[in-house]
Amino acid sequence: MIKKVLIANRGEIAVRIIRACREMGIQTVAVCSEADRNALHAMLADQTICIGPAPSSESYLNINRIISATMTSGADAIHPGFGFLSEDSRFARICERCNITFIGPSSEMIAASGNKAQAKKTMMDAGVPTIPGSAEAARTVEDGLRLAEVATYPVMIKAALGGGGKGMRVARTKDVFQQAFLTAQQEAKNAFGDGSMYIEHYVEHPKHIEVQILADKFGNVVSLGERDCSIQRNHQKLVEETPCETLSEEKRKEICEAAVKAAKAVNYENAGTVEFLLEPSGNFYFMEMNTRIQVEHPITEWVTGIDLIKEQIKIASGEKLGFTQKDVQIKGHSIEVRINAEDAEHKFRPCPGKIELAYLPGGQGVRIDSAVYSGLEIPPFYDSMLAKLSVWAPTREEAIKKAQSALGEVIITGIKTNIDYQYGIITSPEFVSGNTDIDFIEKFSRK
Amino acid sequence: MELRYLFKKTKSVPGSENRKNEDQGPQTPQGLFHKCTKCGETIFSEELKRNLFVCPQCGGYFRMYAGTRIDSILDDGSFEEWDSDIKELNPLGTPGYEDKLERLREKTSLDEAVVTGKGLVNGYPVCLGVMDCRFMMASMGSVVGEKITRMFERATEEKLPVIIFTASGGARMQEGIISLMQMAKTSAAIKRHSDAGLLYVTVLTDPTTGGVTASFAMLGDIILAEPGALIGFAGPRVIEQTIGQKLPEGFQRSEFLLEHGFVDDIVTRSDMKDHLTDILKFHADKGSFKPEKTGKIKISKRSGKLTPWDKVMISRGKDRPVAEDYIKELFPDFIEFHGDRFVNDDKAVMGGIATFAGKAVTVIAESKGHDTKENIDRNFGMPSPDGYRKALRLMKQAEKFGRPVICFVDTPGAYCGLEAEERGQGEAIARNLYEMSSLKVPVLSIIISEAGSGGALAVAVSDEVWMFENAIYAILSPEGYASILWKDSKRASEAAAEMKLTAEDMKEKKIVEKIIAEPEDLCKDNIETVVAQLREGISGFIGNNLDFDGEELAKKRYDRYRSY
Repeated sequence: MIKKVLIANRGEIAVRIIRACREMGIQTVAVCSEADRNALHAMLADQTICIGPAPSSESYLNINRIISATMTSGADAIHPGFGFLSEDSRFARICERCNITFIGPSSEMIAASGNKAQAKKTMMDAGVPTIPGSAEAARTVEDGLRLAEVATYPVMIKAALGGGGKGMRVARTKDVFQQAFLTAQQEAKNAFGDGSMYIEHYVEHPKHIEVQILADKFGNVVSLGERDCSIQRNHQKLVEETPCETLSEEKRKEICEAAVKAAKAVNYENAGTVEFLLEPSGNFYFMEMNTRIQVEHPITEWVTGIDLIKEQIKIASGEKLGFTQKDVQIKGHSIEVRINAEDAEHKFRPCPGKIELAYLPGGQGVRIDSAVYSGLEIPPFYDSMLAKLSVWAPTREEAIKKAQSALGEVIITGIKTNIDYQYGIITSPEFVSGNTDIDFIEKFSRK
Repeated sequence: MELRYLFKKTKSVPGSENRKNEDQGPQTPQGLFHKCTKCGETIFSEELKRNLFVCPQCGGYFRMYAGTRIDSILDDGSFEEWDSDIKELNPLGTPGYEDKLERLREKTSLDEAVVTGKGLVNGYPVCLGVMDCRFMMASMGSVVGEKITRMFERATEEKLPVIIFTASGGARMQEGIISLMQMAKTSAAIKRHSDAGLLYVTVLTDPTTGGVTASFAMLGDIILAEPGALIGFAGPRVIEQTIGQKLPEGFQRSEFLLEHGFVDDIVTRSDMKDHLTDILKFHADKGSFKPEKTGKIKISKRSGKLTPWDKVMISRGKDRPVAEDYIKELFPDFIEFHGDRFVNDDKAVMGGIATFAGKAVTVIAESKGHDTKENIDRNFGMPSPDGYRKALRLMKQAEKFGRPVICFVDTPGAYCGLEAEERGQGEAIARNLYEMSSLKVPVLSIIISEAGSGGALAVAVSDEVWMFENAIYAILSPEGYASILWKDSKRASEAAAEMKLTAEDMKEKKIVEKIIAEPEDLCKDNIETVVAQLREGISGFIGNNLDFDGEELAKKRYDRYRSY
């Protein structure tokens, strides 16, 4: 069993991991940058090592310093949290070579998931649904039409060498394909000097659905239900909930089974998340696999009663999963709201500074994951997330009420936050209806 | 009171000392990390290897093992090693010398300080020698000399190019005078290889010094260097002790040598194989000629006739394209070579090799800059003796490999200054006229703007000379002419008319063969029409000289200049 864990992260996730370790009787080592000497994680751990100046590249992203801190502190494992080095296969590889237990999957798995094209192919081979479209590129309209049939309409035509939205067009039907293809191809030729085009099924108004899985060394894989993370701004999730309101029991089973299949296809180990796009039609497609603990893991913990961080540590210690799929019971409904230090009125620019007063609510079914306290200086160098408020109630309706009530109680003064913006979201009829998709924020902001 | 003192947490914190006797715990295995000697950063060895032993933090170069080097240059599985069983000599009877070699052999799995053999670089066959510093600082004793010599002899026999990656502390002290003789032996073998018209490329890596620098390292037709490599004859410590002075930063590094004209180019490790491939491609078979045809060229002409003085001003115009622009358009695969191999790399002259219509050519250009900054760098297109010597060096190289030479002429005149005189400006120009007159390959010179005096002629003793419509060619500047004859440089416009310096005048006097028509206000944006004429013209010139007879060319060139 792991005896001492170094947490290669900061903020609330570091605090979250320290708490789990303490409950398990495991010693903790925090690392901090010079800007984080007063951060909660640095004060809460059994031992704290300052690993460098404020910029992440010289501290939380600096592999050598983190490995040195591990060696000198005598820690035998590293928990990478999320962000920073959590999905850096090179870091995992160095841990492996140094005989440090990396609490997460193997470096090979991280590398394989990071290679999107390879991951898609692996999933296709394993029978996990992926967005239809061939790996072959089309150079003529005739080729394009043939590939579009395979991909099924509406299709997205995009430049093989593309990026930044150039050389991209949607063709909803066969009639408009030629026009769209030629325009996109011309754009691609102008921008990238090449007219090879990929044709892919265009997933319209999808929901972002992800499935939490746990897998041990012995090939046991269980899914812990899905999370609906459709409320996103520029790929940044704002509100997450579980279960997904519009998913039928039958579809839920199907999508969770697909996630387990995906994990088994790569011999996955530890906690992971399989992301899907869910079309209104009910079709869903594999997007990618996240090989780390996720920000929104508390809502899964609420509805399953399973402590994901503790499970990660147990799996990394080589233990067998203590439960099977049929032991997993999803109960009630949970919602998470992210509270960020950002100015919603000015393009959500980050707002670091000193927190004068932080009052965070509690009560039955309310959980706060945070690393802020009154008087803390929020440094400008890192992610702007201050706290995660998550709630649980037997029904969605009650959960929304609870979230509204709790968020209404949060007080953070001294810096600007997105609390009001988030309050607006969770009280809006569109959100309450549950009929959301990834275009939600775009529509919401226009109002 | 800070929070940290208020939290109730574990009191005792065991450190690594608790785990001394456990070998199960974390530990950094030997060789997992490398420390960069340049920036001091610790680097993950696997990453260093992927990065071809270049520090990912500071870009510093680690010395490379011969085997790794061979893998990075040759196509997989193509290497055939030669002469790995030559027995060493111990001419001085140095005690323990044999034992030392034996121990090194065991430790490095090398038989000596150089590995030689044959292999393929992207399909091009080549003989390759790679030195390895781990073996007695890659010093040259009889075995190293013998292996290099045998490689050149065999390369001469098999008509193969040779590439050597050098690295050496110099001659091997333990072998005394026999070691010194290796310098002469290897140089002699290279001479024979060169006389057979074969290509030799050296790549100088850190450190290349002493007797190796003073023999085969500096004898390449093309000399490349890795960035930041120490290259010199005497080592820096020896020099410092001798002269009793501290040496300046960067002294004897690749960049210093490039600036001083001894290195053709500095090439990064990641580009090395591609760069060598290009060089081999330019020197491989002669290539099949694919004539370039351009359709009808329409040129928008200005109305009204220009006076000679107008042309002088146009030829000096600041938006007028410079040689580099034409090289980019006409020779997209051009690679530049630097240096005169004496003292300097003159940026007022640009030279290198490229292909045109499938044939390798040497391109030499007097180069002005596009703006003031570039012009200062290029000395406003006024070459120093070093520039002319670089041009001549590249022409001689073209002659060795039978490549046509194409020169772009664009200079107000040869540079007039202190150092230029010290290094023999007059001698350098004279030498070019002398050597160019009998060059055994086709030579074409194109006057693109200004052709001032001997400074222009030094790259224009050619089989054909062409001239842009608004270019000028003269014995000196109109200002100079007016001031010498009339003691009044303000009468330059008058002088321009009197001097007969326009393209039409040159055509009439048979100084030039062809006039390249220009659009109104020739600049980079409307360069296509002149490029099209040049493309067709050069294609014709190369096409007419496909099976040239060097002697015949030299004779005709003699007659051409004899006629004036």
